[in-house]
Amino acid sequence: MHTLRWQPITSLVLSIFGLGVSIYLTLTHFSSAVTLSCPAGGGVINCEKVTTSPQSYVFGIPVAVLGLVYFIPMLVLCLPAAWRSLNRWIHLARLLLSVAGVGMIIYLISAELFTIKAICLWCTSVHVATFLIFVVVVTTTPVVLSWGETIESADYVDAAEGVGSE
Amino acid sequence: MAENKRAPGGGNTPKPGGNTPKAGVSAKDRSRQQSRPVSAKAPAKKSGPAKGGRGGGAARPPVKGKADARPKGPSGALMAWGAVAVVIVVVVVLVVVKVTSGGPASAAFTPVTPAPTGVVSAVTNIPESVYNQVGVTSSVQVSPPLSLSNQPILMLDGKPGMLYVGGEFCPYCAAERWAIVSSLSRFGTFSGLKVTASSKTDVYPNTNTFSFQGSTYTSPYVTFQAVEQVSNIPNGQGYYKPLDQITKAQQDILNKYEQPPLDPNATAGQFGYPFVDIGNQATITGPSYSPGILAGLSHSEIANGLSDPSNPVTQAIVATSNYISASICASTKNQPASVCQSSGVQAAAKSLASTAK
Repeated sequence: MHTLRWQPITSLVLSIFGLGVSIYLTLTHFSSAVTLSCPAGGGVINCEKVTTSPQSYVFGIPVAVLGLVYFIPMLVLCLPAAWRSLNRWIHLARLLLSVAGVGMIIYLISAELFTIKAICLWCTSVHVATFLIFVVVVTTTPVVLSWGETIESADYVDAAEGVGSE
Repeated sequence: MAENKRAPGGGNTPKPGGNTPKAGVSAKDRSRQQSRPVSAKAPAKKSGPAKGGRGGGAARPPVKGKADARPKGPSGALMAWGAVAVVIVVVVVLVVVKVTSGGPASAAFTPVTPAPTGVVSAVTNIPESVYNQVGVTSSVQVSPPLSLSNQPILMLDGKPGMLYVGGEFCPYCAAERWAIVSSLSRFGTFSGLKVTASSKTDVYPNTNTFSFQGSTYTSPYVTFQAVEQVSNIPNGQGYYKPLDQITKAQQDILNKYEQPPLDPNATAGQFGYPFVDIGNQATITGPSYSPGILAGLSHSEIANGLSDPSNPVTQAIVATSNYISASICASTKNQPASVCQSSGVQAAAKSLASTAK
């Protein structure tokens, strides 16, 4: 049983899911057909309040678009071929992107909780996907790049063999 | 980069116990027995099946040969799971702080107060010339009501009726009320109007507006019913304290006219504010114009600008008002003529007819 049997497919599925939701949120953001209204009997769950808030822009870029900017390269980096790659920069890029992603969701969660005071379930699903990708990537990359104790380097051999080969 | 060259080559060559890859179970057992004393130096950490299953680390000379030169440090896996734990802790702390923090302060909303006379006068007496000059032309985008056809005229208390359902917190309602007050004032008289502002924490915060709660409206032409279902006072649970109760008859109207198919943009089972049923001849189910144009403007500033047809805020309010008036006229059989035959209302009626479904 190899180390990287389930991680590549898991990260790929999560990336596809996150990309799909990001596409939806981006279309919603730019779609003029969206009906605006205040929620009747609503509560904390208020996607529109979140997606139309000032915090829905970071550096002048809609957060939904930033989701695309995150998930498109992440999807590429989570393809089985990328996981099999011997180019350490690919694995480092995946790691850095996942760290950036989880940093972003911490900011967005705090903005939702304390500034916007509303939660968007679509956004939350993206947050969960981003976090799970982070878990997969951050716990796998040390193995792939042979960080830590020496025995880990042996796993890289198994990993490189295991991805896509079993 | 050196590792990149090293790892695969080394890995493919010397399989653990691997000089006899098809050695079977007995070979594995032998390998385990041999490796047990060796791996005893760090037995607990090597938890992954990727290691144990291959017979331990003793049989990986080329890979380990270079790897052994590396200084031993904290386990990569340990650091990784530590990072995951940190993220989880941060998120949990955020949620806990949010949940345990006290409810909104009492000053977290704009109180409802009697409307200043000057504000009411300015909104209810917009010059006819302004209505006619603006018509439905606005430098700010104004969405017309959804024009309905083949619907029975809504009758309330024996007169064509207009039903408004909204909430004081709602910024879209806040914007809409300026036009509703101005339009209805051409058909009758408001009393007891109050002023307030939309939620301080919602989109377009603090949009100054009226509140219909507790007000009365009299007109020989049309009956106006207003339901402010919720206030702008946070209830501590992410929403707002309740205000007016909606009647069953009013809810029936919402169920029909704020739901598909008569409201094609609606999602079945979901309702939103504002909702305005203008005699069953037209409905408003969202903002006619963006509340953003009212940002930072006081009640007086908005009201005083209503005599200036070149003012973008005035254009948005008056154009919306003309649309509402035209829709009312469709249910009052164009009474009173002084309003319904005015060029501004006629322009709105013409525009509505072109969009009727």
